[in-house]
Amino acid sequence: MNTAYNFAFFDEGSKREIRRATLKAIAIPGYQVPFASREMPIGRGWGTGGLQLTLSLIGKNDVLKVIDQGSDESVNAVNIKKLVSDTTGVETTEETHDATLIQSRHRIPEVPLTKDQILILQVPIPEPLRYYEPSESETKKLHAEKEYSGAWLMLFEQIMKYGSMTTGADHPVLVHERYVMAPSPIPRFDNPKMDESEALILLGAGREKKVYAVPPYTKVVSLDFEDFPFEPESFEDKECRLCGSTGVFLDELVDEATDETVYQCNDTSYCLEKLNAVGVK
Amino acid sequence: MKLDIVHDLQSVYRKIVDASARPGQLADLTKDACFVKEEGNHDCPASILLLALTLFDQEITFKVISEKEENITKTINQLTYAKPVETEDADYILILQDAEVGALNNAIEIAKPGTLKNPHSSATIIVEVSEVSDEPSLRLKGPGIQAIEFAHVETNEKWVESRQMKNIEYPLGIEMMFVDHQAQLLSLPRTTQITENRVIV
Repeated sequence: MNTAYNFAFFDEGSKREIRRATLKAIAIPGYQVPFASREMPIGRGWGTGGLQLTLSLIGKNDVLKVIDQGSDESVNAVNIKKLVSDTTGVETTEETHDATLIQSRHRIPEVPLTKDQILILQVPIPEPLRYYEPSESETKKLHAEKEYSGAWLMLFEQIMKYGSMTTGADHPVLVHERYVMAPSPIPRFDNPKMDESEALILLGAGREKKVYAVPPYTKVVSLDFEDFPFEPESFEDKECRLCGSTGVFLDELVDEATDETVYQCNDTSYCLEKLNAVGVK
Repeated sequence: MKLDIVHDLQSVYRKIVDASARPGQLADLTKDACFVKEEGNHDCPASILLLALTLFDQEITFKVISEKEENITKTINQLTYAKPVETEDADYILILQDAEVGALNNAIEIAKPGTLKNPHSSATIIVEVSEVSDEPSLRLKGPGIQAIEFAHVETNEKWVESRQMKNIEYPLGIEMMFVDHQAQLLSLPRTTQITENRVIV
């Protein structure tokens, strides 16, 4: 542990400011609470929002897991994990059920989360209305008036142009029947996991200086139309080439030797766990 | 032992997070409150001071409602640099048990509820009561609660209805926290719907 830094990198004043914003975020599900977003030793837009939440929450007894698009070993995840463990000395893990804090970029783990865990999602663009309204004061007004016809219109235009809703990730959701919220760029496959989740979900956007939250057991509904219902990505008839799992989010890969399309679990720790449990095929 | 402002206050914060994310689930601050008590600021109840140390700094405003308002305000201001203001402007309103009956209702009425654009700039009322427990006198529903939770707050104040009136125009509203003499904390965010269980004779 690097003792030249404060515990969890921040001074106590910075932590308090993030903590107060987080408590307000929990009290108003889906509402984006502005916060100061301190300078971090990684660039804004590289997970600083999630990192600041993690640092304000973490204590000596926590076990931390960091994932980046399902992988525990990608550069972003490894660097964030190192920064946190170097300045706190906490244990890190790759096993989802051993972790008490899970910071994630763009995925919710396959293993169902429990009430003893907090999921922290990194968010690049927290404002779901930003695509059609560039002004922050205008979007604040739209949220205040619960004026979300633009969000539906955006999906309607996609249906008109392409025949279906084409949000690959970050499909907007309605939280607690009040706020339309960007669930961070998780695939549509993960949206239903936010609904009535057992774990507290916190979302942090460092560059945009916003934190927001989905408390446990909160209604989260993906926006859709009666005749065009929300559909998560489907991996029917497909299984992971390594562990054979079905019903999980799969990456599509091309086997360069044979030119065949193959599928593999996106959540690497889930895949490893399955392999360890059954033995390699 | 002395209060460790890094680790002990982190643990208090996490308990508040859990209690606020799961209204009805009480947070036990006994251990941390003991450290504060040992440092001796006798006018201010230890658990109230502990919450102030966890959340307050020069960026926030507060109001103490108590017979010993002057002393407690001074203590909190000196320890946290938070600014004392009038109730209607305060980010945090601390109501102690020796406050006169009606003080809580009055504070709920005039506390700032935020604006539709900025519902987060609203007050949090922290109330000292003789006991909070999970006895079924109040039924809680809302985000953070799977089906129904029960809670009991031992106080002479009739606050449930005035809180409901204050929070009627969601997302405007106030947060409330009740702390008892055993340092048990009940957190009630504005989303929690409360109905009183009445005994029918």
